[in-house]
Amino acid sequence: MFKNYVKIALRNLWKNRLFTIIGILGLSIAFGVATLLTMDSLHELSYNDFHSNGDKLYKVFITWQIPKGTEVGTSHPTPFAAALETEVPGIDKITRFVEEEALTIYNEKELGLDAVYVDGDFFEMFSFPVLQGVRENILTDVSSTVITKSTATKLFGDEHPIGKTVTVLINGKNKPFIVRAVSADEPENSSIEFDIALPFEKHPEYEETKERWNAQYHSVFVQLEESVSAKTFEENSRAFTNLHYQGASENLKRDGALPNANGNFLQLGLLPVTDMRFVSYNKGYVEISRAKVFLVLGVAFLILFIACVNFVNMSIAKSAQRLREIGMRKTLGAEKRQLFLQFWGESLIVFIISLGTGVLLSFLLKDNFKTLFDTGATFDILLSPIILFIALLLVLVISLIVGGYPALLLSRLTTVQSLKGKLDSSGKNHLRDALIVLQFGIAILLISGTFILNEQLDYMRNKDLGYDKEQVLSFPLNGKKDSYDVVNLLREELKNNPNIIAITAADNNLGRGRDGSQSSSVWGFEYKGKNVRTNALTVDYDYIKTLGLELKEGRTFDIARESDTQAVLINESMARELEEETPLTAFLPAGDSVSFAIIGVVKDYNFQDISKTIEPLTFFLDRERGLTYAYVKVASSNMADSFTSIENAFKKIEPNAEFLGSFLDENVDRTFRREKTMAALITSGSIIAILLSCVGLFAMSMLITNQRTKEIGVRKVIGASVASVTYLLTKDYLKLVLIAFVISTPIAWWFANEWLQDYANRINLSWHFFAFSGVLVLLIAVLTISTKTIKSALANPVKSLRTE
Amino acid sequence: MLLQLKNIFKWVNSGGQRIFLLKDINFEVSEGEFISIMGPSGSGKSTLLNVIGMLDGFDEGEYHFLDESVHSLKEKHRSNLYKEYIGFVFQSYHLLDDLTVKENLEMPLLYKKYSSSERKAKVADMLDRFNIVGKKDLFPAQLSGGQQQLVGIARALISNPKLILADEPTGNLNSKQGEEIMELFKKLNDEGVTIIQVTHSEKNAAYGSRVINLLDGRMI
Repeated sequence: MFKNYVKIALRNLWKNRLFTIIGILGLSIAFGVATLLTMDSLHELSYNDFHSNGDKLYKVFITWQIPKGTEVGTSHPTPFAAALETEVPGIDKITRFVEEEALTIYNEKELGLDAVYVDGDFFEMFSFPVLQGVRENILTDVSSTVITKSTATKLFGDEHPIGKTVTVLINGKNKPFIVRAVSADEPENSSIEFDIALPFEKHPEYEETKERWNAQYHSVFVQLEESVSAKTFEENSRAFTNLHYQGASENLKRDGALPNANGNFLQLGLLPVTDMRFVSYNKGYVEISRAKVFLVLGVAFLILFIACVNFVNMSIAKSAQRLREIGMRKTLGAEKRQLFLQFWGESLIVFIISLGTGVLLSFLLKDNFKTLFDTGATFDILLSPIILFIALLLVLVISLIVGGYPALLLSRLTTVQSLKGKLDSSGKNHLRDALIVLQFGIAILLISGTFILNEQLDYMRNKDLGYDKEQVLSFPLNGKKDSYDVVNLLREELKNNPNIIAITAADNNLGRGRDGSQSSSVWGFEYKGKNVRTNALTVDYDYIKTLGLELKEGRTFDIARESDTQAVLINESMARELEEETPLTAFLPAGDSVSFAIIGVVKDYNFQDISKTIEPLTFFLDRERGLTYAYVKVASSNMADSFTSIENAFKKIEPNAEFLGSFLDENVDRTFRREKTMAALITSGSIIAILLSCVGLFAMSMLITNQRTKEIGVRKVIGASVASVTYLLTKDYLKLVLIAFVISTPIAWWFANEWLQDYANRINLSWHFFAFSGVLVLLIAVLTISTKTIKSALANPVKSLRTE
Repeated sequence: MLLQLKNIFKWVNSGGQRIFLLKDINFEVSEGEFISIMGPSGSGKSTLLNVIGMLDGFDEGEYHFLDESVHSLKEKHRSNLYKEYIGFVFQSYHLLDDLTVKENLEMPLLYKKYSSSERKAKVADMLDRFNIVGKKDLFPAQLSGGQQQLVGIARALISNPKLILADEPTGNLNSKQGEEIMELFKKLNDEGVTIIQVTHSEKNAAYGSRVINLLDGRMI
């Protein structure tokens, strides 16, 4: 019996080769895409889930009630951790944590490593297992260090790493460390990444800030005791904040901030480490959102849905050809159940083949996918038994619905009805129409999404940021020499090159450079009885000139005036924040006796990500602080040559450092990585969606037109023109596309609007995005079906009538 | 007695009016009979045959088949009943296009859960009996109409039914092919198979032992 089913199924599939191939193709693509996207989503969701104490590990954040609302900070002062551990019950382990680039030297080798400064508990809290060396009291000795396996290989090659001394450049000074342990490389899905772990006491800020509660620069992780919940801990910590942040609370109150529900101005909070990947503090509170992951899963689901709709529609349309077979089987004694199993089995065969090809397809495309979507996901994540089981179950359920529904329809027909070979529904099939509407609705949704996303990206890319991004390149000063010396040597080296217009440096980059790091530095102080917070930027001379910033008032730093190291420039936002009529007469307090004179006001420019509004910014000429990025403005001609000569000059000055120069427009582009990934996702999703929908529509129009051959023949005999017949055949589909447009446009608008709210600089949503996607889909649909409909409208009616 | 119909009525409602397809049909069929149902188009011949074959229901009356009361049986029992005792032959053969001659013959046996060796034996037997061994691997489309109908009858006979229902079995055939098929029915009848056929042709009706005439759903 079973053999017979398989045989007839295969013959049937072969007989309808075209439809079988269309069906398999569509489902394969959908399964392939779904596999890749699921892989990506699972990878995202698995972030930080490998810590064996994971459910007890938290990152400490603090919510401030500020006059404008609330603000969340994750930076804490040096004495914070120790005080917290002794004063608030429930902490099992605690570590301070700060990540910084550190130049590490061993013999001739110099490596810019990703260093974390942590406390001893770090390796006991987080699951970064020690492979070699000591396993207990790690890092308690302040001259010890732990390196990862790959760092060990990079530094020592095949040599035994334990006991070796490496030198790390901290604050311009060489500090020796003895390698006490080698830890396993962190997994791909870890938010905490490092090459080398150093004792926190060696952090450049440590000595100076040991006793200070107002210098916040590192994060803190805690591991709670078994019996303590995060909520209890947060409640218990109020006495702690009231004690240590008394001054801050009073200031906030004075500035007009409103206390929170508990009457406090500050509140500690705990963020589970498993949520670290999905958290955002931008809105002034902790927002944990896995929306992006679910968007990806959603796209996978939509594409799968479209392919399934194709399959259902084609199965139903095709089944008209098999009515006689069903009737005959019934007269021969087939039961409903047997018929159902037969038809479902046929679908299952198609499903299994498609699943196979789909997985194969995803396997072949996985490298392209990883590059395109910038993900570290691997197939391994899909290979866990539970995932495989769920996937299998899902495929079975989908095939049961998708293959089972037409099967059910067919098996339910009465014998006499099916023997006559006529479906009693008179051509009206509401389910089919509904499915087509949904399909095109999804396509329109995704296409409008594509337009809007790309438009926003374009807008951000082309927006005037207020500085010259095309002709300026920046690179990290990642060498051994003092940064001021390097900049001066560069100036010296390049002064005879006519294509080099200006050189400067600062302690922060613009956009995201090739080193991949982005940082911000905030300075808060009291000004005329009110707290003022500003971003701080230490610059070298010529900063304004090199970047092409516009000076609104006053002057820029002058190398001839020595007192300028005690002066600052501010941007317009800062001027507004200070509420000074004449900012040039004002002074900013900096400690007990010193104050900075404001000598100029710079026109606002987007020094942070373009999605943010422009915040207050103060420029310092603080020769005490190191510079970390050099900026060079080049002439608009021969830019490639200029780039090479800058690279050569830097190589000459810092022979061991890697030159990571890139133009600022590239840097800015890198800050849209998330948006670009999303645009790539939605764009490819919508292309696949529209392609699959059209394939389905094509097959449907073919089947339905065939079924209406007689009607077409009769109409033509009576005197219908080719045009009117074509119109008749096309009209029904157009109606469906129009309904789809009406339904999906508001949904698309809502989503787009929600998404755009995250951007301070955004495009206006206008009707033409939606109209355009609607027209596009309509056009594609008409083109798809017209080939078939025109052909049948042109056919000789005698021919079509003779078949009856 | 093989089957008995008592006061069978069948109707459809159309536009508030009841249109009778069958009206007060009464007759008995004994084993070994060869009955022809005759009448003009639309007189209800095929409907009556479908009712007898249990492919179609009726609205009023009693139908006894062997010892069972068909009108009170559930769908499942009914299908077991006709699966067991009735074979169907159609005007347009209704062979399954995707199956070979051999597989078409095997089909009813599959639904009756015969073992594989039994199926093979019966199919081989039937191919022999109808002289179509050489055609066993051909598909229906590769056969002439007469040959297809031969396969159709062979398929109807394969599970040894007590009753063969034939709906204009020669309607799509030329006169020579038709004659051969009727001869075959005659022979089968002589071997003890009960046959009820629907036909337009007096000539074909003459093969039978009894004629039932229908007009507008009534026996006359």
